[in-house]
Amino acid sequence: MIKKFIHQFASPKTFLLQVERSYSFIFFTSLCIYVFSIVWGLLFTPEDFVQGNSYRIMYLHVPASFLSQSLYIAMAVSSVTYLIWRVKLAAYLVIAIAPIGAMTTFIALISGSIWGIPTWGTWWQWDARITSTLILFIMYLGLISLHNSFSNYEKADKLLSWLVIVGAVNIPIIKKSVDWWSTLHQSASITLTEKPSIDPVMLYPLIGAIIGFFGLIVCLILMSSKNQIFIREKNKSWVKDYV
Amino acid sequence: MFNFAFNSFYEAIYMNGHGIYVWSVLFIVFFSLLVFFTVYRYKIKKIKEKLDELN
Amino acid sequence: MNSTRKRRLFNICIVILFSMSGAGLILYSLNSNLDYFFTPTELKNKTISVDKRIKVGGMVLKGSVERISSKVSFTITDYKNSVNVEYEGIVPDLFKEESGVVVLGYLKNQMVFAEEVLAKHDENYMPPSLKIVNDN
Repeated sequence: MIKKFIHQFASPKTFLLQVERSYSFIFFTSLCIYVFSIVWGLLFTPEDFVQGNSYRIMYLHVPASFLSQSLYIAMAVSSVTYLIWRVKLAAYLVIAIAPIGAMTTFIALISGSIWGIPTWGTWWQWDARITSTLILFIMYLGLISLHNSFSNYEKADKLLSWLVIVGAVNIPIIKKSVDWWSTLHQSASITLTEKPSIDPVMLYPLIGAIIGFFGLIVCLILMSSKNQIFIREKNKSWVKDYV
Repeated sequence: MFNFAFNSFYEAIYMNGHGIYVWSVLFIVFFSLLVFFTVYRYKIKKIKEKLDELN
Repeated sequence: MNSTRKRRLFNICIVILFSMSGAGLILYSLNSNLDYFFTPTELKNKTISVDKRIKVGGMVLKGSVERISSKVSFTITDYKNSVNVEYEGIVPDLFKEESGVVVLGYLKNQMVFAEEVLAKHDENYMPPSLKIVNDN
């Protein structure tokens, strides 16, 4: 039964119908959550005892950084699915996610740099966390341009998937860089194992911002995979009926 | 929990000198999101038109 | 799972294994070079030439900050060892006694002549009112 379900969902047509049905709901819910949490975080939380008002950049920086790593993991999972089961939709997802991953990494780098000016007194330092995030950004760009340089989609998909899996080694490095080496970047405030070191009044809007931003990024991925499906399946009869 | 953190509208914009950093990051985030949503919307529209021509 | 899929999964595992061990070896060989700064204790056990630019990080010792016109001198400590720093210029807003600091400069006669002073904050966030309550 599970097999049947996966096969059905993995067909681009069913996927597209599902997207069509749920898109506006996800979009408006997450937009509301995101805007609400950002307004709450930026204007209705007390200032930090060390950083004053500049800590408010956290509400924009943390969701982007979190997504930049999660999206790479999502790409790696899709790659494995494609390489083992040859699910076409998984291959579409890998290349659909890449530009959005690059965008979130870019936001994380820029917002981090701007946050660094009033707090650290510098906008760029080659510490392990910042450098490994820059490598992640360059990897996203490399993967996109690699896929574009092929005219044969199947070859491009296979090579891309293998490279995504090889590059996945960077993700634990980014995550643990602040623990393994001395860095200018502080260590994680929210972890799975310990109590968050952010006061609850400041934590709730942050969680809201992460959820809202996640939803918006999911919408972007749905749109970009829809685009990808149309490009790749344009000669199939169901696409002609669909449009 | 929902207390306005500032005494005036001007103070909220200025944020003790940190306003410029906070608001510019806010602008960058929303601008990037807007650009990506617009670009994908446009791309899908274009490819749908193309598919219509094929039919 | 049929045999082709098993083989593919095996290949993927091999690739992950190799890339992880490759990255692991690189990181192992670089190890301390990837550290952003030295702590005062690490500095004590090392001989560093006077023309090498180094970064030293730790906490600013309480009561050690002295300002003479535009010059600032203070002591960086990791609560085991400490090192004196001299700096001319503007320090960041977050530079305070008993808070994190990283300085970039040269070591001469057991003293760091800094060219740049950066503030390092920790992962704790709380409102100022709560901080006062906690301290009492």
